[in-house]
Amino acid sequence: MKKKIQSIVLNIILISIGIVTMIPFLWMVASSFKANKEITALYQTFLPKAFTLQNYVSMNSHFNFMRFFANSLFITITLTVIVVYSSTICGFVLGKYRFRGRELLFGLILSTMMIPWCVTIIPKYTMIKAFGWLNSYKALIIPGLFSGFGIFMMKQHMETIPDEILEAARIDGANEFYIFHKIVLPMSKNGIASIAIFQFLWTWEDYLWPYLAISDRNKQLLSVGLRMFSGQYATDFGAMFAATAISIIPVLLTYLIFQKQFIAGIAASAVKG
Amino acid sequence: MFKKQHALQSKSEIALRNIVVSGTLIFYLIFLIVPIGIALVGSFHEWNPLDGTYRFLGLENYINIMKSGDFWNSIWNTILFSVVVIFFRVGLGFLCAYAIFSSLIKFKGFYRAIYYMPVVTPMIAVAYVWKFIYHPQIGLLNHLLGTHVNWLMNANTALIAIMAMTIWKDFGYAVVMFMAGLYSLPEDAMEAAKVDGCTGVQLLRYVTLPLLKPMTLFVVVTSIINYLQAYVQVMVMTEGGPGKATYLSSYIIYNEAFVKYNFGYASAMAFILFVVTAVLTVISFRVSADKV
Repeated sequence: MKKKIQSIVLNIILISIGIVTMIPFLWMVASSFKANKEITALYQTFLPKAFTLQNYVSMNSHFNFMRFFANSLFITITLTVIVVYSSTICGFVLGKYRFRGRELLFGLILSTMMIPWCVTIIPKYTMIKAFGWLNSYKALIIPGLFSGFGIFMMKQHMETIPDEILEAARIDGANEFYIFHKIVLPMSKNGIASIAIFQFLWTWEDYLWPYLAISDRNKQLLSVGLRMFSGQYATDFGAMFAATAISIIPVLLTYLIFQKQFIAGIAASAVKG
Repeated sequence: MFKKQHALQSKSEIALRNIVVSGTLIFYLIFLIVPIGIALVGSFHEWNPLDGTYRFLGLENYINIMKSGDFWNSIWNTILFSVVVIFFRVGLGFLCAYAIFSSLIKFKGFYRAIYYMPVVTPMIAVAYVWKFIYHPQIGLLNHLLGTHVNWLMNANTALIAIMAMTIWKDFGYAVVMFMAGLYSLPEDAMEAAKVDGCTGVQLLRYVTLPLLKPMTLFVVVTSIINYLQAYVQVMVMTEGGPGKATYLSSYIIYNEAFVKYNFGYASAMAFILFVVTAVLTVISFRVSADKV
């Protein structure tokens, strides 16, 4: 009996925290379907009294928001695929091969995670400008080809793949490229899922770099678009809600689909690290 | 430890290794080492890309930063911000993880998935949502409390409001980490303690918490690195205001570099922040090494 009461109390506490966690999202989505009149009204209901899609329409008509959305999706997916691949292959080599300088190289890669963005962003901007990459997607993709975090995660992950499997393949005459692509890559699903979600999120939310690198409005990304939009239409609350909802929902969906692998992957790497 | 006997390296292994090693080295040389060098040299210059100024100043930037009230104000705000947010992130994260981990809770995966949601949403968009939550007229918070406070324009509440939003966004990360830590605890140690007649509180105090020290350290260190670099919340929600109440170090670096275009001065500040990050990281590792 005492256990039962404890369990109920604990569940109530955890559910309350869960509600606090969810409310900002629900409020944002609900408000995005309200007319501006309703949003600014003195007395408010949580759900829209009159359901309207007007905000989504007007958001896109005074601002080519879906264009930003498509650009962001393109860049984010491209970079995520590249980083997943580069992290896995680097993790494989650093985790499974023994060679001189390996620890040093891994140390260098690890230390990149500790360097604040503000140290390197000014020089990177001047370099990209000197290379003539400003306003081109090269500037967004090439400086992001490798990720210290991704390599670190994948090197940790490689410890879960037994050497015996690799040795067996080698004895069967498989070369290393075959082993990596046909054995290691398929066995790395959890690690890949967690890197993919983080990389997706980080690229999707990155503001400063696309803001600096891209000046052509048609090429601009969503997070920069969101800020430009709020600069011009700060009082069109409904449209702002719609715009933020559009920028949050894809990431949230990705997370909800892959949440199991993702939590497993991220947790496993941290326990060992 | 025995070095594992490694089979003779095959041609393809050498090829793959060379590709990866040279690829990463070239990449980090161009996009890490060279930029750090440029920033270091630049920090000793008056450097403005708009009018093309690039003039040697020696230590003047660093001296001016040390004399600047804004800088010290931002350091104080950043420390306050980081300490408070980390305290709640770790505390709330651990308590939630411990509660979910207990045998009293059934839907463990459900709670964990919910708490983790804010962590995986884009900061810039979430910052706008919270800007509206704190809005004096349309804001959810004022509606719920029945107040008319302008949370983000009041010097007493602005930083607290930003902290609360950051805790909301980040505590789920600590929950997942501590749950992973709890599940990886050696069961024999827990059993032994129970056989010896440990009460729940003693078990927590003398067995669970000490065993979770490495995980706690991991969360604290990653949090320190993150929060010293936080600027998006401030940029979106308050732009450092009201007055200078929410100046965080990374925000004033952003502001100095890309609003005022003082690249040299901003680089000097960035280097100071870099040193602070490194020192704090080393200290956290030292402190935990002593205690373990």
